[in-house]
Amino acid sequence: MKKLGAVIAVLVLATIGLASCGGGDDTSGGSQKGGTLNGTYASFPDYLDPALSYTAEGWTAMADVYVPLLTYKHANGEEGSEVIPGLAKELPKISNGGKTYTLTLRPGLKYSDGTPVKASDFPFAVERMIELNSGGSPFYIAAIEGAEKFAETKQGPIPGIEADDKTGEIVINLEKPRGTFTNELGLMFVAPLPQDTPIEDLSADPPPGTGPYVITKSQPGKGWEYERNPYWAKVNGKAMPDLPEGVVDSAKMTVIRNPETQVDDIEQGTYDWMQNPPPASRYAEVKEEFEGTQFRVEPTISTYYFWMNMNHAPFDDVKVRQAVNYAVDAKALERIYAGQIAATQQILPPGMPGYEKFELYPHDMDKAEELMKEAKPSDMDITVWTDTESPNNEAGEYFNEVLKELGFNTTLKQINADNYFTVIGNQSTPDLDAGWSDWFQDYPHPNDFFQPLLSGESILPTNNGNFAELDDPAVNKKITELGEDQLGPEQEAAYKELDKEIMELAPWAPYGTRTLSTFVADTIDLESVIFNPTFGHYLSSFEFK
Amino acid sequence: MPTEPSAERGPWSLALHRFLRNRLAVAFLGLFILIIVFVLAAPLWADHVAETGPNQEHTVEQITVDGEKKDVVSIEGKPIGPQWFAAGGKFFLGADSRLGRDEMVRLMYGGRTSLLIGISAALIATALAIVLGLLAGYFGGWVDSLIARALDVIWSLPVFLIGLAIGIALAVGGLKIGPLELSSGSLWNPILIISIFTVPYIARPIRGEVLSLSRKEFVEAAIAQGASPGRVMFTEILPNLASTVIVFFTLMIANSMLFEAGLSFLGAGVQPPNSSWGTMITVGVELLRIQPLLAILPGLMIMLTVLSLNIVGDALRDALDPRGKARLDAALQFEAQAGATRPVGEVSLS
Repeated sequence: MKKLGAVIAVLVLATIGLASCGGGDDTSGGSQKGGTLNGTYASFPDYLDPALSYTAEGWTAMADVYVPLLTYKHANGEEGSEVIPGLAKELPKISNGGKTYTLTLRPGLKYSDGTPVKASDFPFAVERMIELNSGGSPFYIAAIEGAEKFAETKQGPIPGIEADDKTGEIVINLEKPRGTFTNELGLMFVAPLPQDTPIEDLSADPPPGTGPYVITKSQPGKGWEYERNPYWAKVNGKAMPDLPEGVVDSAKMTVIRNPETQVDDIEQGTYDWMQNPPPASRYAEVKEEFEGTQFRVEPTISTYYFWMNMNHAPFDDVKVRQAVNYAVDAKALERIYAGQIAATQQILPPGMPGYEKFELYPHDMDKAEELMKEAKPSDMDITVWTDTESPNNEAGEYFNEVLKELGFNTTLKQINADNYFTVIGNQSTPDLDAGWSDWFQDYPHPNDFFQPLLSGESILPTNNGNFAELDDPAVNKKITELGEDQLGPEQEAAYKELDKEIMELAPWAPYGTRTLSTFVADTIDLESVIFNPTFGHYLSSFEFK
Repeated sequence: MPTEPSAERGPWSLALHRFLRNRLAVAFLGLFILIIVFVLAAPLWADHVAETGPNQEHTVEQITVDGEKKDVVSIEGKPIGPQWFAAGGKFFLGADSRLGRDEMVRLMYGGRTSLLIGISAALIATALAIVLGLLAGYFGGWVDSLIARALDVIWSLPVFLIGLAIGIALAVGGLKIGPLELSSGSLWNPILIISIFTVPYIARPIRGEVLSLSRKEFVEAAIAQGASPGRVMFTEILPNLASTVIVFFTLMIANSMLFEAGLSFLGAGVQPPNSSWGTMITVGVELLRIQPLLAILPGLMIMLTVLSLNIVGDALRDALDPRGKARLDAALQFEAQAGATRPVGEVSLS
């Protein structure tokens, strides 16, 4: 017994000793600083290059790595839509009737490789993004003086951007006033990068950034890893006190394509967090068992829709597109998404300024068939596109069947979710007739649902976002004109009208707005996790209990 | 005194007699016939009992079960379970997914697809293998070397991985080579992939047997009488390969069905919304926790079909040529000595 007592005493002392040598981790308020967050994504982001990524996955993955001149408040819900200064000292001074934006870079900032951040890195980032034909480039090509010519010739510099490395001043001259430009400066597309960054997709070797974390390893298709940015604690963090330094020391993201496995792994604690929501088949179970402790529903400002390519038959006929709208039953899609989608039939989602509910095409199969008879489309052979991720794949299968019911001969193509938008955004892909898509707000301005998705200016040879290829001069003009003004009640009313006007043209068959979720292991403090309406989950907000 | 059967019966009658004596094989042949009848009856069941097609969706519909209305798919996205005959045969095995398609109808149509691919791929592979095996075995020399090396190349490839890669490429872009055009969802895509990659498994043993047969007296006699090589190959040697070909053909159907199930499970075979037993397993796996039958049933159908084909194939070999195994082993040994580098692994004759 004496021996046993001695052994226990040694073990207790050893345990206390080990705990006190825990790598300097702080324990305060019931949460632990440090540690490695093991996260999982259902698919690899479209790109791990800030100039190129245009998906929720990519933005979530890079939100704490690349800080633009302006950024969004690290907060949940509406508060998270507030634009705050990022690398810039303060919000831009807008002059010259809304055409000149002046910002000043915070002094002493450094990239994660130690390179000093210079004012001229901003025009470099803009030019690099345009040269790479990024899906985000239309925002800036349309806005900045001389950017359109640069996009054509790829010969710089863009005359509309003046950067003074000595004073840190950046002056951006716009072609015309643009009410959304402050928001657009907060997007990662134009986050400054060192000027020796290659003009190519760097997803396999992401460039250095200025945020609290740095991506140290990337294996496209498999996963990527983060460490703390060594220059955050030394310089950048002190210069940008509004941005959190992050709690975990490192993070590892793994692509697990089966969301069932992801849920099991979170439940068992193999992984700490899953970026995507649980699959529809497990959603109700997870919600019931873990809501409030490990699970939280996150409302989003998003629209899920089926697009129809108006550029060629059969969808060049408005009657055919309207017939499809009547044939799609949003209630069926609510079930396919297992209640994670709320039915809607318009472009602007609830929560977006300018939204007012209307229902132009209540589900009516007879009406749809009648319109098809009137239209008598000549080409009935179409290809329907969707991705492989559940339940989007099932939504695509549903749409395929709806089109068959209308008499089309359809071929369904399911593309791996990693490449889906790259494939359908490339105009050289054959048979881009119709398909599935979704859109989450880039920023809280209704123009974000029109300019990149439905303006003729946004039709690009690669990284195209206007899948319907709507290029209506009247619509283009209205989108451009509305985009020039700062948002107010008059503009909101005009966006309301525009929403209806475009839905009368029926380039899309919208069917819902999505709720996403936060689902973490029981070791993670759910309360601390921030889900931003623009960037999704912030890595810097995760902490162990 | 009983009469010696061989004195009165022809070789096919004798083979039938021997086959029928194998009770296990007869039972499994009966099972295979039942499976064939089951899948052939798909349109009858779909039209007259289930009253729906294999791809027809019923997501927001309700059915009457014992006088009570039930959602085919609940608002939480849970598909209805097996109803057996409570809804007049509708949703006999439940709904397949949140799309609310009739699982029984899809199982029957899926079986047609799986068997069609299995039989077609086995037919093409066997036909190609016969031609290649005859040419290589009869002519020998550089013809033999060329064919044998080509088969070696296919054999040395990681067949399933390459089949998967090609399957995914064809599923996205289809195939267009000159006049040959296959759309991305065409069943010919998995059929061609499977048949090309399985040719060596039949061609090599056939080549070995042709090598052995071409040295027999009856072949030499035909040549001496001035028969052309084509005539010798197709009228003298080929009939003697019948038992081997029949046995391999049945086994290749089973192999091809397994190959198809694997490709389809991984998204490189039959493309949605069409069903095969492989794609049905993929759909069922997602709902394994709440509706396990959705994955188990198509898996069971594949297992029973493959098992019955393997048992029938083995029994056919024994019945058609009781000494065939010894002769085939000798042929394989001969062929191995002539330069083979790898034994027949995937298609077992024992």
